Amino acid sequence: MSPVEPESDLTRKQRREQAREERKAIEEASAAQSAQRKRLIQLGGVAAVVVVIIVIILVATGSGKSAPPTSTSPAAKTAQGEVVSLLQGIPQHTITLGNPNAPITLQYFGDLECPFCKQFTVSALPTVIKKYVRTGKVKIEYHSMQTATRERETFQTQQVAALAAGKQNLMWDYLELFYHEQGEEGSGYVTESYLQGLASQVPGLNPSAWSSARNDPEYPNQVIADAQAANQNGFTGTPAFMIGKSGGTLKKLEVSGFTDASQFETAIEKLQKE
Amino acid sequence: MSRRTVRIAMIVLAVIGLGIASYLTYVHYAGIKPACTAGESCTKVQTSVYSKLVGVPVALMGLLGYIAILASLLVRETETSRFATLIFTLAGFGFSAYLTYRELFSIHAVCEWCATSAGIMTILTLMSVWRFLRGDGSLQAPRIETGEGPRAAQVSAN
Repeated sequence: MSPVEPESDLTRKQRREQAREERKAIEEASAAQSAQRKRLIQLGGVAAVVVVIIVIILVATGSGKSAPPTSTSPAAKTAQGEVVSLLQGIPQHTITLGNPNAPITLQYFGDLECPFCKQFTVSALPTVIKKYVRTGKVKIEYHSMQTATRERETFQTQQVAALAAGKQNLMWDYLELFYHEQGEEGSGYVTESYLQGLASQVPGLNPSAWSSARNDPEYPNQVIADAQAANQNGFTGTPAFMIGKSGGTLKKLEVSGFTDASQFETAIEKLQKE
Repeated sequence: MSRRTVRIAMIVLAVIGLGIASYLTYVHYAGIKPACTAGESCTKVQTSVYSKLVGVPVALMGLLGYIAILASLLVRETETSRFATLIFTLAGFGFSAYLTYRELFSIHAVCEWCATSAGIMTILTLMSVWRFLRGDGSLQAPRIETGEGPRAAQVSAN
């Protein structure tokens, strides 16, 4: 046995150890690479799925523009049914809905293209109508105020179309249908055929009398008078409200939300107790 | 940046996003106008036809998305939890991109709340991709020493 032997044994041992470590390192590196490759594949897979879903949503939502209503469309039929059952049997006189001698008057200032007015009209207003207008305790006057409608001319045309229905004491039917079938804001959906389509859905409206009433010079003046009243009341947006005893001074009614009727109920009940 | 710092930063961003989505969901259901410095832009976006998808308000979808992201960040961190965060943030990013497209090209109005949320979602996505690809560090490729380096030194020391 030469004295070098243990040294060479140790070296061999060290070499084996080193080789094992190298193998281990290579295996770990390969495991890390394969894990990384797996993660990249997963990332790519999720990204691809997301892209596909977004493309489907884009195609499905399309241009999003609502078509003008026709008296035969299912949406129009539903709206018509709701409006008829809400207003049937309630007296109307031009802009006023309800008993002309009702002790309380609520003025509603709105823009027919305003989405918040739609929200109020379809959510909170039906409760007020059923509970207080139908029972003769409150009458509601509709006044106009331009907010959402971009063009002054369009605003006047649509408002006059509603006022003209009021000549046959059907203005509330017309404006309720307008709000129920309201299109996308700023999409230019209010056209002559849209206005005539709404008129054709109002039960009992004489179309030729309505058409000729639209030329009545009184109505544009009424739109101007409403704008002046809204300005005097200090309104900055729609819907806006004035409330008070009929024949007395009306006060501004501030509400924080337009879907809940409770703030209107509180104001009405407070006036009833006075 | 340490893994812990990234996770905390992501949790903070997700909580801010959750706050924004909660406010917009409340605004939607309460029927009130959102606070907006850009005039009526937020109202226009919030009341447009694109504010709902299959009848569900997009603000509510955002709220649920942020809850999912936050939950995946708060559970014990594993490869699966990082993958879940990645899925949720990528989905949120894709949806935010779609909504931003609608704001710019369909509604022609930008809501600052939505833009902030989209920005948060973008940062969250970048962080979750980085976090996912980095893994937990245990499978990091080690340096393989070959040649005449340490081995030669060790032999010569003997």
